[in-house]
Amino acid sequence: MTEARTLKIKTSLARQMAQPGGRTLADVERRANERLERHRDDVMVTVAGTITELELVVAAAAPGSEPQVYRLASALLATAGFFDTGPLYDAGYSLCDVADRMQSSGAWSWPNVAVHVQAMRMILTGGCQADATSDALLAGLRSVAAKART
Amino acid sequence: MSAADRVNLEQSIVLLIDDNPQALDMLSSVFQGFGVKEQIKCASATAAVRIIQNRAVDLIVIDCSDPEMDSYAFARWLRRETPAPLRFIPIMLLTGHASQAKVQEGRDCGVSFVVTKPLTPAVLLRRILWLAGDEREFVESENYVGPDRRVRNFGPPLNMPGRRQGDLSTHVGAAVEANMDQSDIDMLLKPQRVAL
Repeated sequence: MTEARTLKIKTSLARQMAQPGGRTLADVERRANERLERHRDDVMVTVAGTITELELVVAAAAPGSEPQVYRLASALLATAGFFDTGPLYDAGYSLCDVADRMQSSGAWSWPNVAVHVQAMRMILTGGCQADATSDALLAGLRSVAAKART
Repeated sequence: MSAADRVNLEQSIVLLIDDNPQALDMLSSVFQGFGVKEQIKCASATAAVRIIQNRAVDLIVIDCSDPEMDSYAFARWLRRETPAPLRFIPIMLLTGHASQAKVQEGRDCGVSFVVTKPLTPAVLLRRILWLAGDEREFVESENYVGPDRRVRNFGPPLNMPGRRQGDLSTHVGAAVEANMDQSDIDMLLKPQRVAL
């Protein structure tokens, strides 16, 4: 086996950021938040559309469509993950986790997927608020996820 | 206002790679807010491979699950198949959910950072600032090429295999604050009148 070689390096990014000038952290963060916020409405439309797609996939429960569940849930996280969507993100993450585990173990269960998608729809309809309802829904999803892990 | 309160990305070129067009647009907005000199947007890792061989880039941010080349494969390619200084470019890998098969890949592909969603501009900014001060050595070995995966140089416990010459003793730990001035030490030792 060859010996590991270690190098001390200074990246161009580090050199540039060490230069005087730039903006204050607060200013940069505010500007970035303002620009990001302009996407929020479009993202929520996309998220709602993705949940509708998931509902259709679950309703059909067609053999061979299982990978679509992970793909769609993952796409939801990719966009919803830029905003504070709280319990919706948690439910989407749980669906990814459950779908991934069920696929790798070969023990697929459509009801496990359906309960996640229903919970996501309810959370979205409730404005993605963290409250007693979303807490109860997420607690139920955690039980489903725990079962899928065994 | 101290230099620590400022961030300077006015000279930096950032390559943003995301196979989700909406997420790519949002990343782009965030980096626009950060005030980078230039951002190159890329919808796939394979397209990024072509770009990076012809353009100077200072930071790469990637979230790509394309089976042809995903984030992990791109990082491995950059670290192993490109010459210096290309292979040293910091890579920030963004991910929503990492499948079981990908967790170990995330550790071993050579990225500088894995940032999990949900993320905010504040989180991204903190990671960039951390990268700017990153003093980890770059490791090149048969099985791994990338920044040292040890963030702290403690290494395994004493007398265990895998310790390196430069590892710190776990008994002492690393200094967490600057050394005190002699005048401060003198003040601590100076007798003081105490009101009882």
